[in-house]
Amino acid sequence: MTAPVLEVEGLRKEFVRGFLRKRTVAVDGISFAVEPGEVFGFLGPNGAGKTTTMKMLMGLIHPSAGKATILGAEVGDLDAKRRIGYLPENPYFYDYLSATEYLHMVGRIYGLDRATRDKRAAELLGRVGLAMAQGRAMRSYSKGMLQRVGLAQALIGDPELVVLDEPMSGLDPIGRREVRELILDLRAQGKTVFFSTHILADANLLCDRVAIIVKGKLRDVGPLGELLSPKVHRIEVLWQGDEALQAQLREQFPASHSSSSEGQVFVAEAQEQLDRFLAAILAGGGEVSSVTPQRETLEQLFVRDAGLSPEEQRS
Amino acid sequence: MGAIGASFNRMWAIALNTFREAVRNKVLAILVMFAVALMAFSLVLGQLSLHEEIRIIKDLGLAGISIFGVVIALFLGVNLLSKELERKTVYAIIPKPLHRHEFLLGKYLGLVVTMTALVVLMSVVLWGFLVAQGGHHGVIMVRAEILILLELLLLMAVAMLFSSFSSPWLSAMFAGALWVIGRNTAELEAFAQGKLEDTAGGSLLEVLLDLLPDFRMFFVSGANFDETVVSVHESFVSWAYVGSAAVYAMTYGGMCLVAAVLLFRRRDFV
Repeated sequence: MTAPVLEVEGLRKEFVRGFLRKRTVAVDGISFAVEPGEVFGFLGPNGAGKTTTMKMLMGLIHPSAGKATILGAEVGDLDAKRRIGYLPENPYFYDYLSATEYLHMVGRIYGLDRATRDKRAAELLGRVGLAMAQGRAMRSYSKGMLQRVGLAQALIGDPELVVLDEPMSGLDPIGRREVRELILDLRAQGKTVFFSTHILADANLLCDRVAIIVKGKLRDVGPLGELLSPKVHRIEVLWQGDEALQAQLREQFPASHSSSSEGQVFVAEAQEQLDRFLAAILAGGGEVSSVTPQRETLEQLFVRDAGLSPEEQRS
Repeated sequence: MGAIGASFNRMWAIALNTFREAVRNKVLAILVMFAVALMAFSLVLGQLSLHEEIRIIKDLGLAGISIFGVVIALFLGVNLLSKELERKTVYAIIPKPLHRHEFLLGKYLGLVVTMTALVVLMSVVLWGFLVAQGGHHGVIMVRAEILILLELLLLMAVAMLFSSFSSPWLSAMFAGALWVIGRNTAELEAFAQGKLEDTAGGSLLEVLLDLLPDFRMFFVSGANFDETVVSVHESFVSWAYVGSAAVYAMTYGGMCLVAAVLLFRRRDFV
């Protein structure tokens, strides 16, 4: 069995702030491992501790307790860092430099020679769609363009592990699709991708496994399919009928009625209730357009793991 | 390539970036233009004097390099590191394959290169003005300019130390205050040994003066050395003195950088 690319054990960060030395636990003893070649999503609502965890892994923040190993080495090991590419959240780069100059600087730090730097910088800037603006000072770049520079600089060292903190942030729909394709390309090349997001659709499309962090605590780790409950937990019925039938069924089945442009919608909570409802429609001369079983979505899992009450979920 | 060579290359990457960023900064260009304008003004003042044109160009020229150099040193020493932290550009750099101390020392190296280039540029302009007026630049002026450069490099190390743990404004104030105190050590020493003699305040002031950077060492015009008043027009300090000032600047500046590195290593980039 191959060793994990990234292994986190009991990682904790406590910040001490202000005159009164108030303590805040941002990350509370989390443990997980990322296997080679997988796309691993780190999910959580805003303020859950995703960025703090990533910063601890990248050596930007010192952990209060616990440990992490990346590519078999302690955090901060230079040889391991050489095999990692990192995109920070909302990246900002030097105003007076062009994207090409910046990539050259980063390439130098990675120890790349001039020819390799030239080749990779041109390739990457083309790949992230910045070839036209590569010579312009970055102070004139939009947020989306800076995000693209961030992706290019993360990949300049041809890393084995790519760590991306909110990589879709600031991008338009086309940019987001390009980043998704980039992540899938990296996986196809055998690289490991560890990325954080609070956009569940992205995780749904890309991740082999996810970890869900809420209020600093790890709630779930595993393949999405396993985390999502496979059981059908409600069934949606789209139907048509006259007003008398609508009134009769609303009285007979008091909950979960609504109207849509395509007809009436009823949500059955159990099979037995569905059977009775369908029989009542047919008996009353109505028509059934569709019956759709609803399984748990990632969003519902997220809300369930966040420990929100049904009232909060609705709000 | 050995480990030291690789480490230097990484620092050089940061230094080169710092140099590029600094020289493309409009504020810096404006400050250099002011220094040159002051030198040009010395030509006008020289015309008003009685056959003292060269003396005035030399005095005002060196003063211009020194004063605007101090403003530039404070601006760069405080601003370049603070800006990295404020704008979070450092977040993308620290996770790269380099040590935190290499980043900080690389920044300082970039500042050294920038400041050396600026002092050389301003000295060349001053040389041009002197030659245009039929004067002579000479080795004494070179010594004076090297002393100014050493003072500025030390001031940048002090500013960098403050900016490794404090806000830009506070860092500029602290470093600026130390420069003012350091330039007036002779007066403060006389005060401690005169009015404050045999008092706790006097003893404390003397200890502080020993600990704080002695910027007076680099600005010797008018000082008394072996019963001789030093000036760039007549008798000036020797190369040996410049060498000892360089050793002092390197030792004190080195200690500031070590302290900055220690503080920077502990810092969380939240």
